[in-house]
Amino acid sequence: MSEENDKYLHLPDLGEVDEVTIVEWLKGEGESFAVGDDLVEVETEKTTFIVDAPAAGRIERILRRAGEKACTGDRLAELTSQL
Amino acid sequence: MKRVIHLELGHTDYARAHALQHELHRMRCQGEIGNVVITVEHNPVFTIGRRGSRANILVSEDERKRAGITVYEIERGGDITYHGPGQLVCYPIIDLRDYGRDIKWYIATLEQAMIDLCADYGVEATRRAQYPGVWIGNRKIASIGVSVRHWVTMHGLAFNVDVNEQHFAMINPCGLPIEMISLADLVSDDLPMGRVTEGLLKHMKSIFSWDIVDREASKYLRRLDD
Repeated sequence: MSEENDKYLHLPDLGEVDEVTIVEWLKGEGESFAVGDDLVEVETEKTTFIVDAPAAGRIERILRRAGEKACTGDRLAELTSQL
Repeated sequence: MKRVIHLELGHTDYARAHALQHELHRMRCQGEIGNVVITVEHNPVFTIGRRGSRANILVSEDERKRAGITVYEIERGGDITYHGPGQLVCYPIIDLRDYGRDIKWYIATLEQAMIDLCADYGVEATRRAQYPGVWIGNRKIASIGVSVRHWVTMHGLAFNVDVNEQHFAMINPCGLPIEMISLADLVSDDLPMGRVTEGLLKHMKSIFSWDIVDREASKYLRRLDD
């Protein structure tokens, strides 16, 4: 699971929400980020939620684009971890 | 019981209250303050959420400006809404890690506080599936829109005590052709804003298990001027 977490950004558990809509990516493909940086904004239940970086890394490939839906645990992007 | 600081802003310009929310959010994220709840009444504004659209303003720009209504595009969820005199607005700035990290629970809890507030006045209010907010039949009495960053909330709820319904009629609230209603349309009681605010806070205190401590807002507002 830790290799999975190093390689992909997942939608965190936001509680009993059914699904979210991707609003906007705040980092693009090829961009590096530090732990805690804002990566992607999602919306559910009249609430926007910023998914931040659990560790430093770089976004290799975005897997869910703005307007697409995602559920808890879904892969949102492929990462290169910079541990 | 969780200690929460309550700041009553009274009539405050939207932009100033918005700047205060950002400052308090920053302070909360950095652990400089604990959880805070703001209550406020705004000058007339339309606010548009992240996925909202100006297409839901149904009047011309000239007509909107003649009515003295300003537009702000902000970071909360939801589409367009109206704030103005006669509406109780409440912005909890709280860390949802203290409440089980559950966004659906948080929204339902805000709704429940307002449903209980309506019940105090003998008014039966309900939820509607897929349409967050509080409803009296097919008419909406309260709206919800929230943003969460680092698990700390901003924005919150807007409860219509006695609003200018002509202003609401200038938009499709939440992007839908819905009719709004005020508590004053439903009861004959006097509805001083201070008393309605006390009622809402009483229910929030009960549901969230808060120990509410009132503080002067001026100290926090002064930070914006430094």
